[in-house]
This record gives sequence, C-alpha cells and structure tokens, in this order.
Amino acid sequence: MSGAGVSCPGCGSSNIVDDDLYSQAQMVCVDCGSVVSEGVLAHDPNGGSDVSYSWTTAVTRKPCVNLVKGLQRVKAICRILRVNKEIEDLSQTYYKQAYQHQTFIKVSLQKKEVLAGCCVLVSCRLLNWPITMATMSCLLDADPMVVGVVYQEMVKVLRIEAPIVNVTDVVEAHSQEYKISLLHVPEQLAENSKDLAKRAVALVELAADTWIVTGRKPIPIMMAAIYLAWQSLKPSKQRLKFTLDRFCQIAKVNKHRTALKRITEMKEVLCKLGREIPWVREEVTPDNVVRQVDDILKNRYALLRRALRTHEDALQAEDSVTEEVASSQASEPVEHTPNASAVELYGLNSERTQQPGDGNESPCTAPELQNDSQESQESAPNWGKRMLFAPPCVTHPKRRRAGLPGLQDVNGDEEISDSEIDSYIRTPREAREFALTQKILSLSESEKS
Amino acid sequence: MDESALERYFDDSIANDSCLSLEEELGVQSPAPVPEDSSFLSGKAGPSREPGEELDLSFLPDELSTQEEPGRHDDTALDTSQDSGIHPDYNSRDSTAAAAAAADPQQGAPMLGIGASPFCPMTPMTPMTPMTPVTERSGIIPQLQNIVSTVNLGCPLDLKFIALQARNAEYNPKRFAAVIMRIREPRTTALIFSSGKMVCTGAKSEEQSRLAARKYARVVQKLGFPARFLDFKIQNMVASCDVCFPIRLEGLVLTHQQFSSYEPELFPGLIYRMVKPRIVLLIFVSGKVVLTGAKERAEIYEAFENIYPILRGFRKQ
Repeated sequence: MSGAGVSCPGCGSSNIVDDDLYSQAQMVCVDCGSVVSEGVLAHDPNGGSDVSYSWTTAVTRKPCVNLVKGLQRVKAICRILRVNKEIEDLSQTYYKQAYQHQTFIKVSLQKKEVLAGCCVLVSCRLLNWPITMATMSCLLDADPMVVGVVYQEMVKVLRIEAPIVNVTDVVEAHSQEYKISLLHVPEQLAENSKDLAKRAVALVELAADTWIVTGRKPIPIMMAAIYLAWQSLKPSKQRLKFTLDRFCQIAKVNKHRTALKRITEMKEVLCKLGREIPWVREEVTPDNVVRQVDDILKNRYALLRRALRTHEDALQAEDSVTEEVASSQASEPVEHTPNASAVELYGLNSERTQQPGDGNESPCTAPELQNDSQESQESAPNWGKRMLFAPPCVTHPKRRRAGLPGLQDVNGDEEISDSEIDSYIRTPREAREFALTQKILSLSESEKS
Repeated sequence: MDESALERYFDDSIANDSCLSLEEELGVQSPAPVPEDSSFLSGKAGPSREPGEELDLSFLPDELSTQEEPGRHDDTALDTSQDSGIHPDYNSRDSTAAAAAAADPQQGAPMLGIGASPFCPMTPMTPMTPMTPVTERSGIIPQLQNIVSTVNLGCPLDLKFIALQARNAEYNPKRFAAVIMRIREPRTTALIFSSGKMVCTGAKSEEQSRLAARKYARVVQKLGFPARFLDFKIQNMVASCDVCFPIRLEGLVLTHQQFSSYEPELFPGLIYRMVKPRIVLLIFVSGKVVLTGAKERAEIYEAFENIYPILRGFRKQ
C-alpha cells in the first residue's frame, strides 16, 4: 500500500511504498530511500486472526467494541431527548441484556443501532416519559417498520411489559415542533405554544372518547388536533382559509396525508356536539364549526350527555314508528321467511328493557343479516349507524367483493371426476407449443440483455 | 377402465397409508355437520315462530326447552350448510335470544350447569363430537376463512415437467423452489415441492381442504407420478367474526397486559395471545376478531368463548 497520509520524516514526501522484497516488510520512501517504518517479524494474518473475537479469550478481558459503542449510542440518544438519569441507566441495562442475548448477538450493526433506540424507547415508556415510535425512527433515521420489528422482538426477549403511549401525553411534546409562535410567524398567525398545546390536548381527549383515536397512528391525529386548535384559538377569516398544507408550511413540519381525514372526522364529531349548544341559531356544519370549538370544548361533557340523550330519544321515536308499521304486518304468518322488521323490533325491545339509560350502547344485536345477502351488506354496518359515536371504520366500512359461495356440504371423500382433473392438464400439442414459446421468449430475453 | 383403476389405486393408498389418522379425522368430521346444522336451524326457526314470546329459548336443546324439536331437525337439516351463509343469520337471532337469556340468569344458569355446550351432552374433550360453538354467552360463531394443510405425495417430483404439462401451474425456480398450482373448486392454491411434499391453502373448511389436496394429488398422478396421499394434516386454521360493538383496545391492553400487544403505530389491531387454547386473536376497534393458530375447529370456538366475556367487559367506557 502506498502511504496514505504517511510522510517520510527524512524528505517529507508522501511517496512511500511497501517494500516486501526482503524477508522483512518495510515502508520505504521512494525519493530519499529512507526506511519509514520497519515491519514486525510476524504480522497478524490478513483479515485478522484465524480465530474470531468471540472465540478468543479477549472476550473476558476486553468488552466487545460494538457493545461499548452501542452503549455510547444509547447515552447519546438519551442526551438528545433530554431524559432523566433513571431512564438513561435503565436503557443501558436493557441494551446490555439484549445485546448479549442470542437473538441479537449476531444481527447487523444497523439493527444494533436500532436496538439502542428501542431500549431507550421502552425505558421511556416504563418510566412515564412518553415518546412515539415515529419520533424514535426519525432520531435513528430508520424505517419505522424496522424499528417496530426490533422493538417487538426485544420486548419479547427481555420479557418487558411496557405500557402503551397515551396520545394525550405526547401532544404537548409534539406541539413544540410546530414553529408557530410569535418568533416565527406574523402576529395574526402566531399562537402561544402553551395555549395551543392545551387546546390540542382537549381536542385529542374528545377524539379519544369518540372512537377516533383507537387503532390509529398518533401523529396524524395530533397534527389534526393542533391544526384545529390553532384555527379555533383565533377563528379569523384568514386563519380559517388556511389549508392544512399551508399550515404545515408555515409551521415547518412535514404534512401527513391522513391528517386530512382526521380533520374531517374531528369536525364531524364537533358538529354533532355543536348542534346541542342551545344558543347557536344557525346550522352547525363542518365549515363553520371551528368558531364554536371554544364553547364546545369548554362544555364538552355536558354536550356529550345532551347529544347522547337526543340520539336515544330519536332512536326511540324511530322504533315506535317501525312498531306501528310492523304491527300491521305482524298478523301475517311468518312461517317461511322471518319478518325482518318484526324480529328487529323484537330484538330492539328486548335490548331496551335491559339497558334503559344507555344511548350509546345501541343494540349490538340488531339483526344484521336477512336471507338476502345483498341486504345483509347494507344492514351489516347498521349497528354502527345506530350509535351516535362509532369507530369510523364501522360507519364507513370498506366495500368488499362478495366472495363466491363455493362448495358446501363437502365431506372430503367425494369422487373426483376424471374430466375435472383432465381440464387441468395440457394436451400434448399444447405442451409442445408452450415449450416452444418459452424457448423463443427466453432466447429473445437473452438477446435483449 | 383407467378411471376405475386410478380410483382404486388412490383409494388403496389412502386406506393403507393413513388409515389411523383418517379414521380419526372422519370420526371427527362427519358427525359434525349434523348436530351443528340442526342446532343452528332450530335456533333460526325459533324466533320467527314466536315473535310475541318474551324469552325465546328455542335454541336450547330438547330436554331443556318446552317446544318440540324433532320435526324441525328433519326438514331443516337438508337445506343448510355447515359454514357460511346461514351463520350470520343465526348470529343475529341467537344474539337476541342470548341477550334475552342473559337477562334472566335464573333460567339461564341451571341449564348450562353441565359445562360449555348445551347441545352436546358429552364434554368437549370427547374426540367424536367437536365442541359446539353455541353457549348461552355469545351466540356468535366464528367463520372459518382459511385452512392450511400439508400432505406427502410420497415420491420425488419433476417440477419442470409438472409446470410444462399442467395448465394451472406456475414455476419460477429463481423466485421460489416449488410449483404453485391452483384449482377452481374448492378455490385453493397448492405449493408442490420436488420432495413430493405439498402445502394446500385457501380452503374454507377441513373437508374442503382435504378434497382439494386429493384433487392436486390426482393431477400429479395423472401427470405420471406414483403419487400417494400420506400424512394429511391440518396445520393452521383462520377464522373471523364480529361482536358488533366497539372495543376500547387501550383498556384491554391495560388489564390483560401479559397477553396483549397493542401498538397503534405498527398495527391497528390488538394482538392477544391466548394461553389456553394456544390461539392468537387479532382484535380490532370495530369489534371484528380474527382467530388464528388453531389445529382444530374446537380450539377456535373455545378461544372465542373465552374472549367474548372479556370483550363485553370493555363494551362500556
């Protein structure tokens, strides 16, 4: 090797070559001939010793270099996040344990780095200092899915039961990221971060109560909450005209597309509550609900109760109407096909008698499926539509292709017809043609490449 | 002439090679359709006949209810299927009845003093009768969605030849070292390896899986290989159902931390690893539940009956 970065002490030239003509390898300067270094009599074999590190006795005398580096990395992550000493110590302990476990001792260095982040993550969760996995993946500059996989494996290996992150706890920290204070933006658009966080927390709590949060990723929800909070703290025309896109631009955060959906869902919930406000004359729509957000949040529990009660009353009124309709039909014999409305009524009545004051718990037993499968697809989400607040995946179910009915009444030992099996086998001519075509195709492929 | 010879050869190989396991399977499978059918249908027919009755207990077995059952069994047993179609219908009726029954504990409790299944007088441990899915608790029956089974065809196979001669086969050795074959009825996919082992997926019931595996074996046989049908085994069963109320997953993970894993950032559902029976359940906020990891139908039903009261506990905030 020519001396990279090595200069001859005699003449200062960097033109140094490795001269192993003689029994002893030497580095010699080409220009002045002086020997820059003298090789040792015995080199370590190329590529390190024949025995790998884990087999040598160095394991006991000197800790693994990567383990040491990993622990330093854990410490660095903790310092960046500014967590307390307890969390730092706990994450280092976990890292040591996990690193030496057989599942992790032989993984790639990249995974070991991710492991460091996961140890910090789990320690934060255990010691009540919540951060999201997305934050950790940003910090590690790793794919969130990879972080997820390593995290789950680590938790399984170390047998940790870590509590889940409550979104409301993370909102405050998350809102710090938004550069929307007076220092960054003009006054009409600026907002005190404490007020913003407080209102966002209230919005997230409301969303959690009305099934918007469960099962969803937290960051788009927080983004939607912060956006709505910002708009509602000073609902001027200018602010209301701001789209999520522009808001993220001025706040210097990356927009999440799903945040738009969350905004729609939250606005729907706010509308449902806004309608219950006694002093609001005009109709509350998603467009003008932002102005009412302040009042809604202040009185949200009362409004929730009112809304549930109103909904229950509406349902009972509906049932009495169907009862009148059904009673005229009920006289007909119901031998062959169950009379849908009668049974539905029957089902509802029995539910009502058991759970009188529970408007939110609309019948889970609302008979969903009639004999006709098409009807069943429409009435299946019924239970969600009858509830005032239901998880959005229930009220707006994905339309699935109805599966083909397929075989029924199979006992596994039926006769298999020959013709059926023959239909799966090529005729000799077909096979020849297929082979020929394949050959032609492969030839043309090889010609191309 | 060829046809009957092939059939005989095939049936011979079944009889000789796997007689023990098959008998057991047959013993388990065949009686299954009848009691389940009749029980479902009696439940279905019940509420429609007595709409005015306060508590419809017709879904309960003969000796415990006051109505006559035998007639119903006969005429309704014919036009029902074991799985699919009829069950969702049954769900609603039975949930109604179940709710009604649950409301009246005095009537409900003594009838089920025996144990889990009111229809089956034998305990679920008896291999002959699988545990029936209906209890006074849920009335919801998980429906099988996928069955994975394996069978050994007992002879090495030339995959290139199979891929060339069979219409429904695909073979890409660079990507995967097996032939992927599909048949239309039952709609399934099979992975056939050169060792002669085969994996069959996509069937909706154990019997369908077995029929499908036999069809694949027959195709391989017709292609000229001395295929047999050895060690047919169901490896995994997946089922799903809907409890029809939303579930607070955060609450569930708090109280059942040692079994649950809920990471909304990674997956929207809660992963519940039940210990007995050893089944993994995916529980979603919409109330839909997916059960997997079972080798037998009874395990799925048992797992669902175990989880249902837990989920009901999370129905109210």
